[in-house]
Amino acid sequence: MATPTLVQDTDVEHAVGTIQRGRVVRKGRVLGVTTALALLAFALFVATMMVGSFPVTPWEVIASTFRLGSDPSVDFVVRDLRLPVATTALAVGLAMGVSGLVFQKLLANPLASPDFVGISSGAGLAAVGSIILLNVSAMFVSVAALGGALVAALLIYLLAWRDGITGYRFILIGIGVSELMVALTGYLIARADIFEAREAMTWLVGSVGNAGPTQLRILLVALAVLLPLTLVLNRHLDVLELGDDAAKALGANVERMRLVLLAVAVVLVALATAAAGPLPFVALIAGPIAVRLIGANGSGLVAAAFVGALIVLVADLVAQHVVPVELPTGVVTGAIGAPYLIWLLATVNREGRGG
Amino acid sequence: MTLAHARSTSPAPGSGVAAPSHRHGGGLAAGLVVLVGVLAVVAFVSVTLGTRDVGLATIWKAFTDFDPDNTSETVIRELRVPRTLVGLVAGMSLGLAGAILQGVTRNPLADPGIMGINTGASAFIVVSIMVLGVQGLGTYIWFGFLGAAVAIFVVYGVASFGREGATPVKLALAGAAVTAGFYSVTTGVVMTNVDALNELRFWQVGSIAGRYWPVFTQTAPFMAVGVAVALFSGRALNGLSLGDDMAVALGQRIRLTRSIMFVSVAVLAGAATAACGPIVFIGLVVPHVARALCGPDYRWVMVYTALLSPIILLSADIIGRVSAGDGELQVGVVLGVLGAPAFIALVRRRDLAEL
Amino acid sequence: MTHELRAEDLSLGYGPQDVVSHLDVEIPDGKITVIVGANACGKSTLLRGLARLLAPRTGSVILDGKRVQDLRSVEVARVLGLLPQTPVAPDGITVADLVGRGRYPHQSWFRRWSAEDDAAVAAAMESTGTAELADRPLSALSGGQRQRVWVAMALAQDTDLVLLDEPTTYLDINHQVELLDLLTDLNRRHAKTIVLVLHDLNLACRYADHIIAMKAGAIIREGAPIDVIDAAVVTEVFGLPCEVLPDPVSRTPMIVPRGRHHVPVPESV
Repeated sequence: MATPTLVQDTDVEHAVGTIQRGRVVRKGRVLGVTTALALLAFALFVATMMVGSFPVTPWEVIASTFRLGSDPSVDFVVRDLRLPVATTALAVGLAMGVSGLVFQKLLANPLASPDFVGISSGAGLAAVGSIILLNVSAMFVSVAALGGALVAALLIYLLAWRDGITGYRFILIGIGVSELMVALTGYLIARADIFEAREAMTWLVGSVGNAGPTQLRILLVALAVLLPLTLVLNRHLDVLELGDDAAKALGANVERMRLVLLAVAVVLVALATAAAGPLPFVALIAGPIAVRLIGANGSGLVAAAFVGALIVLVADLVAQHVVPVELPTGVVTGAIGAPYLIWLLATVNREGRGG
Repeated sequence: MTLAHARSTSPAPGSGVAAPSHRHGGGLAAGLVVLVGVLAVVAFVSVTLGTRDVGLATIWKAFTDFDPDNTSETVIRELRVPRTLVGLVAGMSLGLAGAILQGVTRNPLADPGIMGINTGASAFIVVSIMVLGVQGLGTYIWFGFLGAAVAIFVVYGVASFGREGATPVKLALAGAAVTAGFYSVTTGVVMTNVDALNELRFWQVGSIAGRYWPVFTQTAPFMAVGVAVALFSGRALNGLSLGDDMAVALGQRIRLTRSIMFVSVAVLAGAATAACGPIVFIGLVVPHVARALCGPDYRWVMVYTALLSPIILLSADIIGRVSAGDGELQVGVVLGVLGAPAFIALVRRRDLAEL
Repeated sequence: MTHELRAEDLSLGYGPQDVVSHLDVEIPDGKITVIVGANACGKSTLLRGLARLLAPRTGSVILDGKRVQDLRSVEVARVLGLLPQTPVAPDGITVADLVGRGRYPHQSWFRRWSAEDDAAVAAAMESTGTAELADRPLSALSGGQRQRVWVAMALAQDTDLVLLDEPTTYLDINHQVELLDLLTDLNRRHAKTIVLVLHDLNLACRYADHIIAMKAGAIIREGAPIDVIDAAVVTEVFGLPCEVLPDPVSRTPMIVPRGRHHVPVPESV
């Protein structure tokens, strides 16, 4: 700001050039990282369908998945047995990844993923309750989980409302609601007989093999609508991040936009949880990983979605084929993302987003 | 860089008076006297009340002139007193550990649970059950302690990498990542080993029932040291709560301070969690309650937390004992069911002082 | 383009009590208005009220003949910009990205980033001297640089009315003067109406066309500094005994406080 009075048009033109170049570079980086993550996710999506007691080549998988050829035995293994699970893993991961980052940005807190502010615990209580108290079918457990997540979210929102929402109050109320749900869930499990307790614990851990065709179809439709919507809304998320005063001064309808974004994120995570159980830590860890890969170059929502998908796909692969006994996916999700996030935390330098 | 930019969005003059930080020392000291009185009453009730009510005389006699054949005296001496003492010390420890972690990380969600302590303890316990065939509280308590300590040192170690050391954001994320990793270990074991599941589901609700003298005598020395350090750390936490730069400017050696804080959290939360299971509620919620009562000065927050925590823990334990007919409700359940709504009401009524 | 911004019978507050009560004020168009007053006198509250960040308890804020509450927030944001006292910088954001977020009200579902946005961002960054910082993360800058980036964001919004809440905080004296010079340029060359909350009375008197002195939520005096500011007013508003002399550079009022020390014993002449 040496001599502001002498700002020349040539200076401004020069600055325009700098800014445009900078933006191109940043967009390039975002595009590069996101494309790499997408390709990796697709590769894993194919890979999870290759392995098993009936090995299939990648080309057979692709041909069968996209109906490019027909080999009855391959089609049976791929389309009927493996495709639903792989698609669930992909869809659930995408949904949880993007939902987690939207929560973290909206509430301005890297720990404020739906796992920790009470949404998942609402789903957990409803599902465990229906397993232990009602002994119902898997489909009904899904419906209960969906309802539980939505009710918990609504409850937190309404309780946190006082002339508007602040992120801080939302988090604290979320803690309270979550504690209530977790205590009740623990009580139900402790008093149940051991087989029901085991079934409830299994659901709480979550597995992509749980999803029935209906749950999967609903989740896919929701993703097709809500993922693009999230990207459209990203513009508003960007100004909400500046704090309520700045966002209002810029003309954002703060409360409405926050409600819409929260609703989108809640529906995504609720449907994902209904399909596969809570799959702990996917929503929490995907965002910070994506943000560190992209650096200060963009908002990283798409990248977070693909990181989420990668975590779940790898977890599925490990849980089914790498460990000696077959495990529910959720057992491994924590162990997949965690070491990578730890490594990123320890190595990414400050100039980026080390924290 | 502070993590708590979840700060209130209306920082204008006039809004900051909600937290009664201006309440003078006299009022705060009087509050302390009241709390000490309440704690004494609650502890007394905890010893006398139960399925077998006893009077003061019996208590006196149980310690001065013990008659092993008198069931009442035995109950007092061997069950209720150690149980009450465990509740007292563990409550204090959990609350203080939570207050320290919230102060050091400047994050309202940072509690011993998210720092990996509970999951670290759980993981070590279930592994000890599965691999070593350990059975019974008295034996696996040490594994719980070890797990908690390992978890928190890993968290602190990971977060300390890099130029500016363990910043709040890195601590929170490292805690989340380590929690995720240990969670995978725990669920992996539980899903494949019914014995471990059976032990874990009772342990993880959190309870001080059946804690005999050995539990107290083994863990209390650690907790006593931790409590002493915590009570003198208020000034240091006040410095850290202003942000790293300000703390340095005020002459604090923040790396050293943080290290000491973390060791004391490991000792406090490790021993308490080993003694009574992961009672998340106390560490997460009570510091917020204390802050609502006495304002943001950590010197008072620590003392208030130290008194409020055992009051709340023992009260919940008493309620659990008398409410459920023949059996009893675990303290963790009571805390969730009664404490969470109370906490929500508190959050709604006041603008809680932010970190 | 001329604009009218005024408040009628405006009451604002946060808790049970009003911070500003039943206040009438008009911001002169095309001028630099500075609001001064002791801490907690309601200056920032008034500014937030004028910028519709705080809903009025009584009365209303009128922008170009319409009540601000009745206008769409985005429409207001194209005419009236505000830099709040404590905006939040998202983790790791770059300077250019942050300044670019000031273009929000000019974009919509259909209209995304355009060359006009680039030009506005570039002009804002060039005039605040932040252009060469464009690709750096905000967290790597000094306090003064950061403050200039925030001002650049408010300028990128490209509004005819610009409200700034204590924009000179964190700036050294040199940068304070440069920023105020810049705002004066914007005022004179682009006819922007500027409203500032400032703590430095001397700079306020020098740069203000119109000064508003507040105390306890009410306006004590307003007008041109030279007509309004004298020792009696300063003593009333700030409770500070002082002398007011003409500023040797600008001839505007200059406040010289009388503390308890360093006041020589009057010598007999």
